[in-house]
Amino acid sequence: MQNLLNGIPLWWYLAVSAALFCIGLYGALARKNAIALLMGVELMLNAANINLLAFWRYLAPTSSGGLAFAAFVLVIAAAEAAVGLALIIAVYRITRSIDPEKLDQMKL
Amino acid sequence: MTIHQVLFIVMALAILGSAIFVVTTSNLFRAALMLILTFFGVAGLFVLLDIGLFAVAQVLIYIGAISILLIFAVMLTRGMQGMVPRNSQAVAAAVTVGIIFAVLLLLFGPFRVTVDVARWPVFSLFAGNASPRDVGGIEWTPPNQPIPSVPETYIADFGRSLVDLNQYLLPFLLIAFLVDVVLAGAIFVARQRRPAEVIEDRRRQAEEAAEEAEAMRQAGMAPDVAPLPEGAVASTAEH
Repeated sequence: MQNLLNGIPLWWYLAVSAALFCIGLYGALARKNAIALLMGVELMLNAANINLLAFWRYLAPTSSGGLAFAAFVLVIAAAEAAVGLALIIAVYRITRSIDPEKLDQMKL
Repeated sequence: MTIHQVLFIVMALAILGSAIFVVTTSNLFRAALMLILTFFGVAGLFVLLDIGLFAVAQVLIYIGAISILLIFAVMLTRGMQGMVPRNSQAVAAAVTVGIIFAVLLLLFGPFRVTVDVARWPVFSLFAGNASPRDVGGIEWTPPNQPIPSVPETYIADFGRSLVDLNQYLLPFLLIAFLVDVVLAGAIFVARQRRPAEVIEDRRRQAEEAAEEAEAMRQAGMAPDVAPLPEGAVASTAEH
């Protein structure tokens, strides 16, 4: 017997979160454009946040630990987007391309 | 089926549909717009979880800031649109994420998967002795009992826990520092360099190369790189 919140079991949230994470991972692995790759990473961070907050709500809603973790994920997602896009724009200025497969100047 | 379940299914379908569109379309601008729909769906899930604070934060930070940043980047790198949406590893990536999704669903889904540790001893690595309900002074909801509602003061409690030395003050300060450094670094990396700075940089590089060659010659070795011709610096300055 599982605990229900508004008639929704916890695993529904976990399934949506897992699916969203996998879609984001596919985007990060398989896109040919660095900005699309960053979009995949944002999807993965969102999935992690759904997971954290669903576990918090179902298992420990009276403490604020889950909220704090989710807030840190949110802040790190914003920082990651800012620095990632700055890098992409700098690289685009130099090479006129943002295909991650072509950025191999640091290969030995 | 309750109204909450219907809402959940609608939002889950919106999230997953738009997310699949985001990772498969070749038009980056449309991908950014569909990403906004995904973020809205996730905010809706947070409302269903009774966490209005995070639904608002999601709309403000993800939709208001990150999506706009992504759209800016898409526009600044124009000419990169309409390209092949997949690289050469797309099939391998799809198979990998399919396997990962299946494993996650088996672990956390409604089906019970039990592993005989005596037969597969490697799985004992993943089985801790401590029950997760013993961790760290937090009141966990016991199984088979109704889930308590979120306290009325959860926003105030959350705010206090961020500035409480015994709770999350240190991570909070660290993350504030991180955001400061990251924003300064992002501005530094992405800023447009003035032509004068570029010329100055090249002059300094040429000087350093010449000094290095001089030092090598004095050490009695032949320089492996020919020193820059005299005209190089002057010709870059003319641009």
